[in-house]
Amino acid sequence: MKTLTTPRPPTAASAPAVTQRHRRCPARTAAVWILVGPYTLFLVVFGLAPAGYALWTSFVEDGSFTGLRDWAAVLHDYRLGDAAAHVTTYLLLWLPILLLTVLSLAFTLHARPGRATSVLQLVYYLPGAVTGSAAALLWLFMVSPDSSPFSPLLDLMGIESATDALSGGSVIAVLTVMGVAVHAGGWIVVLHGALNALPKDVLEAAQVDGASAWRTMWHVKLPMVRTYVAFVLISSFASGSQVFVEPTVLSTGAPGQISPTWSVNQLAYVYATQDGDFGKAAALSLAMLAVGVLAAWIVITRTRMYATDSSDSR
Amino acid sequence: MTALSRGARVLFLLGAAVFFGLPLLWLLLAPTRTADDLTTGSPLGFGSLGNVGDAWSHLTSYNDGEITLWIGNSIIYATASVALALLLCVPAGYALAKHDFAGRRALLTLSIMTMILPPAALVLPLYLEMSALDLTGTVWSVILPLSFYPFGVYLAFLHFRANLPDSLLDAGRVDGASELRLFWSVAVPLARPAIALIAFFGFVRCWTDFFLPFVMLSDDRTFTLQLGLMSLLQSTGAVNNSSGFADLDIHQPEAALAGLVAGAPLLIGFVLAQRFLRTGLLAGAEKG
Repeated sequence: MKTLTTPRPPTAASAPAVTQRHRRCPARTAAVWILVGPYTLFLVVFGLAPAGYALWTSFVEDGSFTGLRDWAAVLHDYRLGDAAAHVTTYLLLWLPILLLTVLSLAFTLHARPGRATSVLQLVYYLPGAVTGSAAALLWLFMVSPDSSPFSPLLDLMGIESATDALSGGSVIAVLTVMGVAVHAGGWIVVLHGALNALPKDVLEAAQVDGASAWRTMWHVKLPMVRTYVAFVLISSFASGSQVFVEPTVLSTGAPGQISPTWSVNQLAYVYATQDGDFGKAAALSLAMLAVGVLAAWIVITRTRMYATDSSDSR
Repeated sequence: MTALSRGARVLFLLGAAVFFGLPLLWLLLAPTRTADDLTTGSPLGFGSLGNVGDAWSHLTSYNDGEITLWIGNSIIYATASVALALLLCVPAGYALAKHDFAGRRALLTLSIMTMILPPAALVLPLYLEMSALDLTGTVWSVILPLSFYPFGVYLAFLHFRANLPDSLLDAGRVDGASELRLFWSVAVPLARPAIALIAFFGFVRCWTDFFLPFVMLSDDRTFTLQLGLMSLLQSTGAVNNSSGFADLDIHQPEAALAGLVAGAPLLIGFVLAQRFLRTGLLAGAEKG
């Protein structure tokens, strides 16, 4: 499936279309809908309907139209500003560090391929297996000076207990380190694969011209994989903006240190479950959904990472 | 490359390996040690296998063996979701790749949209929908949404488009096979590796999912292992001694063992299915 890995150039619809596709007969149409119908139903019920129903809920309560009341109430909630600030700070810290880690490791691995390359990739990737509450548990241990293998480092930073490490603004630092450890590996594999798929003659030409390893990376390789870099950045932005699990679980290890409405999604969760205010929960989660949809839309239309048409098959 | 820059390169790669690898190594070793040894001994010592057994028996005595219930729940939910997802994904991916029909382009675009969308973005809207249907708290509120798996459709679509020649299907048509028969007897047998890949990624996704079951389920007997792990932390203070009930036999080694059990299927899967994994990551860049 290696042919699937390169971003697709905008191909003209010159590839010969398969004649069968264009001949429609009733029996075949029926067969197609038997194949695709159940999935389509699930797409509608669990992909589109939730968004539609949330939209309805945010405007209508007990059958009467409430207009923008819920939206205004969310906007005027003092907790929203705090939560948005937390998530923004987290993204500003996490995204650059993640990108730098992914780029530097993928390029360093690619500069001199060796037997250790795949072993190292696996080591970088394995933390991705411990996610969710297990990851939060693991990193609670990592920031507890009693037990952490990083305790000299923690001493250096003056951290005396896990509660210390999770108080005030340092939650964001812990989340950042955790987020890099969990997510970097997968992207390193993706980017390294993209680098491996680059045409060899271009890289050789750079070498013949006497370009240093550094210049080759900066002026030849990086521009050629920039779609991937954009992809990493946009999808990480989308998933990072939805942060929920990590602050939720981390707060159980250091009670009282992390607000239950620390992130925007946590606030929406509190609306839905603690306050039982579905209208406000719907409005806020729709706003967050819009962020995700926008990011997905940019990926599809700008990066050409995904094949949406069969005419560009090879 | 000079010796200096080679040295710097090796140092950088190994430094990164320490950052990524050390927490996992610690997690692997922690259950073999006692709580005292963990806080006073060297951070990366090996205790004894007997300690692992003790830690496990402490864990299983927590709330009458709730942990085995959670493991069972995780397995049931994940297996059911993956099985249902495969039934939906593979035919859909095949039809999208090999047939033209009204709405095909829209279906493909919507699938890719929902696949790139972070799963967390839809969880609360799903919760509102499930509440309206009175399904929250049931296993269906977890299994059904998880079996909508657009990434699986996209993987199947890519596979059939690249690896299933139209001539093969045409030959079957000439022999008088129906369209459904072609799918079942020609396409599916040739797609076994792709189906295994979809199943693997689907399982990883269901097993690690936290937000959806966290929102949907409230009775701790229906929890998945991921949720159980959190309630274990909450009620025992195993990580932070300042909270919880100290009289329970759940301390650091027990918590570490529970975390290890939660990660084990994926760690093993990742090591065994390395090459597999790379293909899938490159094809669609799962964000796991």
